[in-house]
Amino acid sequence: MISPLPLEGEIAPEPVVRARQSRSYWEESRERLLNNRFGVAAGLVLVFFVVVALLAPVLSALFTHTDSRTIDLANTFAPPLQGGHILGTDELGRDELTRLLFGAQVSMGIGFLSVVVALTVGATVGLVAGYYGGIIDGVLMRFVDMILAIPAIFLFILMALLFKPNTVTLALIIASVGWGSIARLVRGEVLSVRTRDFMVATKALGASDARLIVRHLLPNVLHVLIVYGSLYLAQVVLIEASLDFLGLGITPPTPSWGNMLTNSDTYFFHSSWLVIWPGVTIFLSVLAANLFGNALRDAFDPRLR
Amino acid sequence: MTETLLEVRDLKTQFATRDGVVKAVDGVSFELEAGETLGIVGESGSGKSVTALSIMRLVPPPGRIVGGHVKLKDRDLTTISEGEMQEVRGESIAMIFQDPMTSLNPVFRVGWQVAEPLIVHDEKKRQSAMGQATAMLGKVGIPHPGQRSKDYPHQFSGGMRQRAMIAMGLTTMPEVLIADEPTTALDVTIQAQILDLLDQVNREFGTATILITHNLGVVAGMCERVIVMYAGRIVESGPTADVFAHPRHPYTWSLLRSIPRLDADRHEPLQAISGIPPDLIELPSGCAFHPRCTFRVDRCSRDVPHLERVGETQMAACWVTQGGRDLNA
Repeated sequence: MISPLPLEGEIAPEPVVRARQSRSYWEESRERLLNNRFGVAAGLVLVFFVVVALLAPVLSALFTHTDSRTIDLANTFAPPLQGGHILGTDELGRDELTRLLFGAQVSMGIGFLSVVVALTVGATVGLVAGYYGGIIDGVLMRFVDMILAIPAIFLFILMALLFKPNTVTLALIIASVGWGSIARLVRGEVLSVRTRDFMVATKALGASDARLIVRHLLPNVLHVLIVYGSLYLAQVVLIEASLDFLGLGITPPTPSWGNMLTNSDTYFFHSSWLVIWPGVTIFLSVLAANLFGNALRDAFDPRLR
Repeated sequence: MTETLLEVRDLKTQFATRDGVVKAVDGVSFELEAGETLGIVGESGSGKSVTALSIMRLVPPPGRIVGGHVKLKDRDLTTISEGEMQEVRGESIAMIFQDPMTSLNPVFRVGWQVAEPLIVHDEKKRQSAMGQATAMLGKVGIPHPGQRSKDYPHQFSGGMRQRAMIAMGLTTMPEVLIADEPTTALDVTIQAQILDLLDQVNREFGTATILITHNLGVVAGMCERVIVMYAGRIVESGPTADVFAHPRHPYTWSLLRSIPRLDADRHEPLQAISGIPPDLIELPSGCAFHPRCTFRVDRCSRDVPHLERVGETQMAACWVTQGGRDLNA
């Protein structure tokens, strides 16, 4: 080390230690996300729906003072704001807002459960197939091709007939198809990450396959999962609503946004709010999930920087 | 003579490709003694890197070790289980790679990555690992190691990353360090620093080092012994000084003559080795170098020469020098 000689009478300055904060890829991505106003707004809308779903019983006790299944035949088709019903009542006099609140439990519950299951299965299959390659990759990915080759709607219909749909089974039914495209996506990403030198370098230091997959590959493909998970949430909410609409999803009297829409289609011309409210909630939640997913992608994808 | 740490015996590694079998390493034998620095030189495709990967059992498919033995002390690394091999990797033999830019995982802090080999090999060391890693980063010349260990790889320069890679290889105090072209991706001033560091590491920790390079200057400055590879085989080996002063294989001779010299006549054209490296699927008959060799005799295209003692300290696989001819004469 060459240290500069202090001149006579001059005090050698203290070495400057930089107090710069190290920022990771994650921290930088988070900052980019927070700078995206649409993204933040969409995220807040999603959080709002989740909170509503979680607090549905509390909210209905506070604001609507009724149960989602309480029938009031004297007050059918009440327009919004009439008789203490903020969003009106349906053909059986049930409070529309209460039903939307509890419907959020179904939509968000199925949405997030499906996303979690599909991501877990899809990521595992994608990681294993991509990491090991060869025969394992061939078998797993051809199976994925098979799953994705069957028209999803027929699969949903078949399974909805075989298993009695409730929140959990419906989530699993939807996820049973959704994991396929996630597996493909993850595998593709793994194929590019695994050839990078740090994978061999880490293996050369004695890391096991399991460690390489979980500690080194997974964090490098996590951004794909986060982005796709958010976009997939929007799909699941739509699929769930369509299944309800076809009568293959959540069955009355349990309210869901989808079956509320089905029940009210015949009354569209004289009580349009019965169609508008669930329609708008589905639209908003799907739009929010999509916008948030895009914002995440913009924040995470290094190619868009 | 000190104890033999690593013994490679008749190692053969082949890649089964659509066009045929590529004999990337074809019967390579050498020994590495404790604390010594051994250079392996050769042009691209001569099998230097594959030899290193074979020792680590990290040859990528479709490559396969088809014959020979790699002995670390008394254990044959080619026959132990994958689990046992994982213990050897990093713990006894560490390897650092050519490109420091991609050899660190971008999503983890450098300190954590340097500590990882310790954690991998002994879960109990988790507590002390970070401290040891930071100390090691300091030893390899990273300024403010306590602070820089919290940085991510993209915040390090190329030279610093290679230092971090070396630190990663050294945290477990391996007996053998294999450096596969550790300076190729770095600029010249940084190259010198990294080589100094490797030299210092070798002296301070007594780590035996295998330095793989195509840079003869690096070998001259660093290695006690040198192995010259051509087309998957060792064509010459011996003490570096002797090999450089008296090459006993025409390939080494040509390599040495093709180094640009500052004291040469400016108008004299650079000496290149004529021809192209051989096709590893269909090697030339006899000595693989004979089509490019200026000394060749009839026998060269017929019989494969074997590595034999030529001169007092060197080994060469060449009919010409084995027949007593001095290439410098």
